[in-house]
Amino acid sequence: MTIAPPLADEVVEELVHVLGTEHVHTSKTARMARARVPAPFPVHRWADYVPDLVVTPVTTDEVAEIVRLANRYRIPLVPRDGGTGLTDGARPERRGIVVDVKRMNQIEEIDLDNRTCTVGVGINMLKLNEVLGVHGLIYPDNPASYPCSLVGGRIGTSGWSLVGARFGHSRDLVLSFDMVLPTGDVITVGDGGGRKVTKSSTGYQLKHLFMGHQGTLGIATRATLKLYPKPEAEFSPFWAFEDFDDAYRTLKHLSQAGIATFAGAVLFDEWKVAYLRRDDEAYIPQPGDVRSLVCAVAYGNEDEVRAGGKRLMRIARDNGARYLGDEISEGDWAARHDRYATPLHGRTRDGQVVPMSWHCEDSAISYTELPAVKDKWHAIAARLRERFDAFDDWGMFFYTSGDTGTDFLTEIDIGIWEQRLDDEMWSAWVEAKRDIAAVAVEHGGSISACHGACREGEVDLVPMELGGGYDVMLKVKRALDPNNIMNPGKYGLDRAYEGEVSAR
Amino acid sequence: MKGYRYADEHEPPQAKQVTETTITRFEHVYEVDPDLMTEHVTQQTFPNWDTLRIVHSRHDHLDWMHRHWAGTVISGEQILRELDEP
Repeated sequence: MTIAPPLADEVVEELVHVLGTEHVHTSKTARMARARVPAPFPVHRWADYVPDLVVTPVTTDEVAEIVRLANRYRIPLVPRDGGTGLTDGARPERRGIVVDVKRMNQIEEIDLDNRTCTVGVGINMLKLNEVLGVHGLIYPDNPASYPCSLVGGRIGTSGWSLVGARFGHSRDLVLSFDMVLPTGDVITVGDGGGRKVTKSSTGYQLKHLFMGHQGTLGIATRATLKLYPKPEAEFSPFWAFEDFDDAYRTLKHLSQAGIATFAGAVLFDEWKVAYLRRDDEAYIPQPGDVRSLVCAVAYGNEDEVRAGGKRLMRIARDNGARYLGDEISEGDWAARHDRYATPLHGRTRDGQVVPMSWHCEDSAISYTELPAVKDKWHAIAARLRERFDAFDDWGMFFYTSGDTGTDFLTEIDIGIWEQRLDDEMWSAWVEAKRDIAAVAVEHGGSISACHGACREGEVDLVPMELGGGYDVMLKVKRALDPNNIMNPGKYGLDRAYEGEVSAR
Repeated sequence: MKGYRYADEHEPPQAKQVTETTITRFEHVYEVDPDLMTEHVTQQTFPNWDTLRIVHSRHDHLDWMHRHWAGTVISGEQILRELDEP
């Protein structure tokens, strides 16, 4: 066993006593593999983010023991719930111990009468739904990372779902969860004190305080989830438009139509269509006059989906849409999780193919602000690409967050040739991210609808977006985590301890 | 029954140019133009059966994802026909 030098032998020995040798991982491979997430990463400085060791507990008691030990020794703790997040929540900023929850993947209970299940947070939604499907049920939390992300990661980031307009997002679907606080105490948070309650007016709504904690307020260990009948039917039409404005108008009419089975609508802009022609040729080979695409999705009982589908199709047709046919529509919707599985390639300015990672900047933006934000974000990406061939604009999309068309997950995808990054390029990227976030705030939106906002660049603007709410965040952090051991360095929360000695 | 012939498998069908940046060799299978993959990413030699295996596997995956989420998929083409019915 390779011992990580920064942690004393006695710490490792205590952890081995709690978890057993096989669940305290000190090898270089185990640690290096947990240095990053799919968010943009300065690969030329990989070593800066390698944790000192990794532990893989399986019970809440074990997690609580680890947290208490970390407090005694003032060691940073970083929860890692799948490591699929896009805002660096699981990236160790100060080395320390990574708590990987992947073994906490038990299904403890499926309550058919109350339509809930209780699981360890290390379970993946796809695997859970394979079991629930036997009972005709589904847990409809559906991120792009659906095949690989974990319930705990969804809690840590307050996840956004591709079918959230129909079923809600992680904050709605997770009814309650056990939380190991930074001191090692364990509490259950939900709506009120009941584990299986969807609406309570008792006390503060603490569930929402811990939703999106990004590992800064403790470690979730067990969750009770809300279940739905597995849909009888799915409808996922894709339509083509000759210009963005028609597609934009159609998006509004689709998302504001009040159709009960409506699960979402998404608009792809001109840059995204160009990218799809270029790099996803297998799925959308479209003629040159197609400049924008819109997709809508519906789920539910078959008769209701058919009725809603007719209305969606009529709305689209009345607004100048051309239906792309069943093969493309069905194939593209089924491929919605591909970004986490397919190798990606961008282009240099002279058109040559290069290996690039997919990086997305997301915000929550009101419908009326979408065109202005689109133009400003593409201008930022263009300036970046003018300077460096390592960046490529892969287009934008706008996706309903709710069922009234109020605000949209607004995302620009940027390919990054990570192997070429150096400090100058990384600084330019961080500056671009800050500019992108500034545009979102300037237009009355939120820096992130989906991923969280604790990465370099954008995190600088979180106090501006939240105002006095950010001061409350600092006080909560200081009160719950007196030694600043939980994921220190995230969300600028170190300023809650200014003048004090805390974990590294 | 036709036996396995190495030469057949390693000579892909003649490419047809679809767009300035895209070619096709097999029906509904689109590829980046090989001229764009000469400097930083070079193409590997693939036997034809392996290309088709990957394509078919992908279709299997997409079909599985539909079944995983719902009992049936409503046809948009049929909905369009119903809209046109008097």
